Amino acid sequence: MDKRDTSEMVQKGLVRYRQERDWFNFLNGLLAQDPSEESQLSKSITEITVDRYDQIIRCAEEGKPFIAGYFCAAPEIYAAMDLPWYMIMQTPFLAASAPYLLEDIDACERMGLGTDWCTACRLSLYYIEAGLSPPPTAVIGLLHPCDAATVLHQAVVRNKLWRDIPMFCTDPPYFEDERGIGYFANELRRMAAFLEEHTGHKLDIDRLREVCQESNKQYELWIEYSQLRRAVPCPHGWGIGGGQCFAITQVFETGNPRGTQWLRELVANAEKRVREKRGSIPKERIRYFWFDLLPFGWVFEFLPWLETEWGAVMVMEMFGYTPYSPIDTRNEDTMFKGLAKRNLYESPMVRQARGIADYFATDIARVVKDYKIDCVIWPGHMGHKDGAASIGIMKEVCQQLKVPYIHIGLDLFDKRYTTPDECKDKVSKFFSTMGLG
Amino acid sequence: MIVGGCDIGSATGKAVVMKNGTIVSYAIVPSTTRPETTARMAMDEAIKKAGLSSLQGLDCIIGTGYGRLKVPFAHQNVSEITCHARGAHWLCPTVRTVVDIGGQDCKVMSVSDKGKVLEFVMNDKCAAGTGRFFEAMARVLNCGLEGLSSLSLQGMKPATISSQCSVFAESEVITMINEGVELADIAAGLHHSVASRLNSMVGKVGLVEDVALTGGCAKNQGLVKALENRLRVTVVSLPVDPQIVGAVGAALIAKEKLSGGT
Amino acid sequence: MVTEIGSGILRKFTEATETLVNTELRDWRAQGGKVVGCYCSYVPEEVITAAGFVPFRMRGTGSTGTDLADTCMGSINCSFARHSLDMGLSGRYGFLDGVVWTTSCDHVRRIYDHWRRKIDTPYLRLLSLPKKTTEPQVEWYREEIAMFKETLEKHFGVEITDERLWKAIRLHNEIRGLQRQLYELRRGKSPPITGAETLAVMVAGTAMPREYYGQLLRELLQELSLSDGHPDYRARLMLVGGILDDPAYIGVIEEQGGLVVTDSLCFGSRLMWTDVDEGVSDPVMALARYYIADRPHCPRMFGEQQRRSAFVRNMIREFQVDGVIAERLVFCDYWTGEQFMLGEDLKEEGIPYLKLDREYVQSGVGQLRTRVQAFLETMGR
Repeated sequence: MDKRDTSEMVQKGLVRYRQERDWFNFLNGLLAQDPSEESQLSKSITEITVDRYDQIIRCAEEGKPFIAGYFCAAPEIYAAMDLPWYMIMQTPFLAASAPYLLEDIDACERMGLGTDWCTACRLSLYYIEAGLSPPPTAVIGLLHPCDAATVLHQAVVRNKLWRDIPMFCTDPPYFEDERGIGYFANELRRMAAFLEEHTGHKLDIDRLREVCQESNKQYELWIEYSQLRRAVPCPHGWGIGGGQCFAITQVFETGNPRGTQWLRELVANAEKRVREKRGSIPKERIRYFWFDLLPFGWVFEFLPWLETEWGAVMVMEMFGYTPYSPIDTRNEDTMFKGLAKRNLYESPMVRQARGIADYFATDIARVVKDYKIDCVIWPGHMGHKDGAASIGIMKEVCQQLKVPYIHIGLDLFDKRYTTPDECKDKVSKFFSTMGLG
Repeated sequence: MIVGGCDIGSATGKAVVMKNGTIVSYAIVPSTTRPETTARMAMDEAIKKAGLSSLQGLDCIIGTGYGRLKVPFAHQNVSEITCHARGAHWLCPTVRTVVDIGGQDCKVMSVSDKGKVLEFVMNDKCAAGTGRFFEAMARVLNCGLEGLSSLSLQGMKPATISSQCSVFAESEVITMINEGVELADIAAGLHHSVASRLNSMVGKVGLVEDVALTGGCAKNQGLVKALENRLRVTVVSLPVDPQIVGAVGAALIAKEKLSGGT
Repeated sequence: MVTEIGSGILRKFTEATETLVNTELRDWRAQGGKVVGCYCSYVPEEVITAAGFVPFRMRGTGSTGTDLADTCMGSINCSFARHSLDMGLSGRYGFLDGVVWTTSCDHVRRIYDHWRRKIDTPYLRLLSLPKKTTEPQVEWYREEIAMFKETLEKHFGVEITDERLWKAIRLHNEIRGLQRQLYELRRGKSPPITGAETLAVMVAGTAMPREYYGQLLRELLQELSLSDGHPDYRARLMLVGGILDDPAYIGVIEEQGGLVVTDSLCFGSRLMWTDVDEGVSDPVMALARYYIADRPHCPRMFGEQQRRSAFVRNMIREFQVDGVIAERLVFCDYWTGEQFMLGEDLKEEGIPYLKLDREYVQSGVGQLRTRVQAFLETMGR
């Protein structure tokens, strides 16, 4: 491919990326106008986000190495190797409520990519097929927790535009045990070797130790923060919480003191609010556990309404709850095993969808008890086939816990699948029938 | 050489008589519960109009449509996909994409310069984008099919119908009526939503001009406009009732069969 | 229902597809023989045979509804998973002494979770199946198979020696060889057996005692070698897809005049196109390598799409295929991807291609007929 073609390819690949960066810039501006601590916290996130986007744009334009990777495929290693990275699934998630989202979903259908698999995955594939994703130096792919992830990455490998970009995927063992950890640790070692080979960046064990140690601090703070959310009333709602902690620790600021500082500020804010018994909304009437990702495609049309209409606060969701055991940084082996455990068993969404049903069932039980949950909402994203196949088990767990449970059935990205109005209707009937709020 | 084409659909049965390559008559009858009966009724009417005394006057008859296996006098049956494509292309040789919107299904075909189907996409799993959908909505809006069509052309701000399923769309429409949304806007929104559905299907085979609409719903000017808007092309006007295009195609195939062509 | 075709021998095969428990399996059980169910073609059946049991590939044959399963699974789950789970919950799998899964797909792996909680089968095992096919995965699966063997031994009080395992491998390889011979007969201009009949033969091979099946297959091959074959067809078709165990589905396709002469199916060629390597020392390693590295793969395996595509294109050449039909169970993510990717590959070579969606229990026969007929017409046949 000649220089002009490459340059055109890069520019086209950055179109959506730039649009997202601008969207976050815009949010940044809005948040700057609200002096409240919470808004300032969110503004820090948008600033960090814009920085990371700019970094990728620079790398793409200057021909410097950068990779496509995942939050659950050891971002600690990317950080230690000083490799800028982004997720090919970034656009569907972060382009929340962007006007082009629905157009893109339709374009995806027209391309013949099929419609009954996860919208996030097929959108990601569409962006690559349409040349709307910046081609990286190398790709770390994902084969779990669900079928769709494997489909996506097989298609990416085959795609004409990305055919010459090397890809490595870690292979996921199914059960949670020492053997699986050992195996996955080796997969991570192979991944690191792959990255060294294709990017020219090296993995230094001491640097990895630094990253893991800083990262451990971040997770400690996150655990503290999560515990503060147990308070009644809950200090924060859906607007601040697990999602941002996840973004800091696993996406944008892995092992970076800047991220640790943000988490300190988050904890401080939550502590203050708990001391002052200040809930996220004036009158908290329902504490719910949203057992999925946020409905990124139409979040503003539903979640605020739950607060204003029903006084319903999202005390915990899928991002927020995982154990985050610290990584033992003694030596290379303990570090890789620690990374394996964290990335395989303790990454949000991956944790809840992979493996046997017992894993998520115990999580639900813990959250309901610890967070004094009034009801469990399983949104039932159309891409979570394993989740849909688990509704019987979720129902039983909730019955045993004597907590009401509702399964909605929606598309986190496409509001036409089950409209916000239909969701509101369903949830209202549920709350009323269960005597909640 | 006199040939016949018989297209038995869920809502209507169509028959066409062609003599030496020209359409001499056609008939459209409402479908009965038995395809054999519908076929006979349609064919009898077409024969009468053609001035023939009986079926014997026809050298070859091809059956098509969902009831094609039950056309008792057909010498052979051919899929409605092939027939609609052939018919539309013969009527307008520049046609390269055919959108058929029938009573119970809709389909899109991409067509070669010789009228052969290259690729096709069907939606026969649900009512979205079919005659049934419009009938249901016309009932809800209490305006009749013609009324629905003309209303849609008046809608200044088409309402957004989010549901892709016609059953749920009905609920949405009822809610909108109760909220006082202009009927014209609702009608426009409904047509817009069908056009979107069809646009997706067109995308799957690849849009190549000229585009022709066939089937009963192609007579709905509101839908034609909505689809033209969505596809950003002008749809060609066919010189016959679009509802008989399938039967025309079948008759053409009957003619080809006799003259030994393919 | 597949109409009675040909001799009594073919009837024996089709009977095995029309019921869950065929006559031979019933007799086996009556004599005290054990049967172990397998969800997924990656379960190493040879281990079960070596234990002295009959491996039985799980099917939902005879399921009339999914009411019970619908309380456990959602409407966006695969109809095979729902029907099969329903049969399990209804007690229709009571003839099984054990069930083995691999972590095949999001739908079927959850059947394991429900089964554990609700159905009283004494032996259940879930194998962690890798999603890649390189050496580390072969080694991983070797360990999985070894552990599986141990638990089988322990639970049933049997000993699966290397010798018994090799004997089982040889038996299964022999059967694969016979099945390949069957397919060979379809290469010519007048295949003596239809695609529907072939599927019946293949499905039967997953449902009865394997020695008996081998004998039956030999008889069939004898008979077919004397047959004139079917010369009258509009086109030679190849069927590509996943869990298709219903010959009637192929029957509807072939009714339109096309003849299915080969396939890449989960109950078809992928099961037997290659053999387990009998020339290595460790039989468990031989099995691991066969299932993970050698055998034609299912779309679940990463890094294998090119090979799978080449496998299809090779079949097209060797069997003079005129057009490819790809079927998929609605909601199957793997086959959505595969249908798309294969479609792109075949388009590059100008090979006619039809994508079909289906439900596990056949419905909408008219719609299937229309699409297949139109497809044949587009091929100019």
